[in-house]
Amino acid sequence: MSEIMIVKNLTKRFGGLVAVDNLSFSIYKGETLGFIGPNGAGKSTVVNLLSGYLMPDSGQIIFDGVDITKKKAHERARMGIARTYQIPRPFPELSALNSVMAAVVAGKDRKNQSFEDAGGEATHYLEFVGLFGKRNILAKDLTFYELRMLEMARALATTPKLLFLDEVMAGLNPGEATRAVDLVVRAKEQFNLTVFWIEHVMAVLIEAADRIIAIHYGQKLAEGTPEEVVNNDAVIEAYLGKGWKKYA
Amino acid sequence: MVDIELKRDRICIRYKNKKWDWMIEPRYWRNSILWTTALMLFPLFSYFFYPTLINTLITANIYTCIAIPLAVMTVGTGRINFGPNFYLGVGAYTAALLSIHLGMHPALTLPCALLMTAFAAIVFSPLVVMARGLYYVLLSLLLPLVLLELSMIYSNIFKGDVGLFGIEQLFRFESSSINFLAAAYFSSVIMLILLTIANKVLKSRYGLIMSTINDDEDVARSIGVNIDKVKIITFVGSATAIGVTGWFIAHYFGTFAGITYLPLTFMLKVLLVFLIGGRAQVFGCVAGGYFVSFLEMILIRTTGEISAVLFPVILLILLFTLPRGEGLFGLYRKRRYREYMAQVHVRR
Repeated sequence: MSEIMIVKNLTKRFGGLVAVDNLSFSIYKGETLGFIGPNGAGKSTVVNLLSGYLMPDSGQIIFDGVDITKKKAHERARMGIARTYQIPRPFPELSALNSVMAAVVAGKDRKNQSFEDAGGEATHYLEFVGLFGKRNILAKDLTFYELRMLEMARALATTPKLLFLDEVMAGLNPGEATRAVDLVVRAKEQFNLTVFWIEHVMAVLIEAADRIIAIHYGQKLAEGTPEEVVNNDAVIEAYLGKGWKKYA
Repeated sequence: MVDIELKRDRICIRYKNKKWDWMIEPRYWRNSILWTTALMLFPLFSYFFYPTLINTLITANIYTCIAIPLAVMTVGTGRINFGPNFYLGVGAYTAALLSIHLGMHPALTLPCALLMTAFAAIVFSPLVVMARGLYYVLLSLLLPLVLLELSMIYSNIFKGDVGLFGIEQLFRFESSSINFLAAAYFSSVIMLILLTIANKVLKSRYGLIMSTINDDEDVARSIGVNIDKVKIITFVGSATAIGVTGWFIAHYFGTFAGITYLPLTFMLKVLLVFLIGGRAQVFGCVAGGYFVSFLEMILIRTTGEISAVLFPVILLILLFTLPRGEGLFGLYRKRRYREYMAQVHVRR
């Protein structure tokens, strides 16, 4: 497998706090990479750095063979990097259809696609996540699960190669969580995605991830297959705890 | 080559890799034609039955012509500009000075006024990228006041309090009432053109992108929107459109004094039109413009001097009682609150 993204010695400081400390790893094409760590470990900061929301203090990010360290968020989005947010951030005053249409229109230059055609394409993504019936509802009136799905549709509409999922399962009940996992797996297959998945629900990552990276205080703690990482003493000590399997 | 294809409900236009669809189904333009007809018959009705209403109509059109680009600017930049009259002043002074000193015809001063307003907007456009919240409000509020001060300091050029006079007028018919009627129609046409362009822009792919900026700039960035570019284009385009109103004012009255249009009192009236109509709603701006001007005229005629107090009081009551943040347009939206197209609002 070839690398879709290479991260070299990434560092980000907020004043005196080192949020990400000399972090290096690779993401391979077509894999699902789990990203775990205790609260405040720097997981979301890493996603913010890789998606261009924050600029690193030092280090290098290479995506698809191109150095994107200095590129802005919208340029990275157009290159094929999409993300969802830990707390859903919809466009509250836009309907579900318009939210996804905006991503279709802005995400990439489509040949011979009029604004009306973009509506047709957006409908496809809404149908995929199960929100077709809610297409004309304003995003601010959707439920939490629907907002998660809308974010997923919006991210998919930019036709990404690499998708960052930031705690998709947070706030969902078991039934919704199962549907969300199924959806991520289907999206990965149908849209040929590489997935970078931050998650606290270990059972999900053990099932879905090909590899897992654990971080603590912005530094890499362990990397390997899910079995290797969850049995790593340092990971158990810093994050999982000894009885973690009871709660996974 | 441009390829045009007629379909059942639309005209498809293709050029290189781009494609545009233009809806031609009657249901898309029936209401527009009805309203436009009513608007076009109104000056004629006033001319024969209540000639004094024509002046109010022109004032309403002037307010609306400022409020419409302001609404587009607000959506596309995600910020309320508190100094739209600065661009009105730039357009008006350019047209006035060129007309007085070089004897230029209004048709020639228009492109010059537009260019000058666009230049001023480009110079100040970094504000929409750099300044946020209160800082943007203060900076935008400051610009017309600075221009007003400049007009006082350089009174040999701008003629200070007295204002510039002797500007070539738009219409020179023998009867003054015909001049008024022509100006009423002309201002209505300018307003309708601005309204059509603004509505078309807001309902296009560009308008949708603008509304994402209005809702959440960071998320807009993450879906691939170059927000700085969109903000600057919107700002410059809208400010230039406000310059047209300045040009019209200068050539309609034949005189222009900054003291009338640049202080806070005029700007507050425009903002009231903008808010009473419905924030960032272009059709609401039309309703707001006509409502505010006619209310002002009725109060002056019926209550006399006390109208100066009644007018702001009534508007303030309306601001609080009309559907929150959506003004007069909100009354319509109460019935049809699930629109197919984007309904954009200003962030609080």
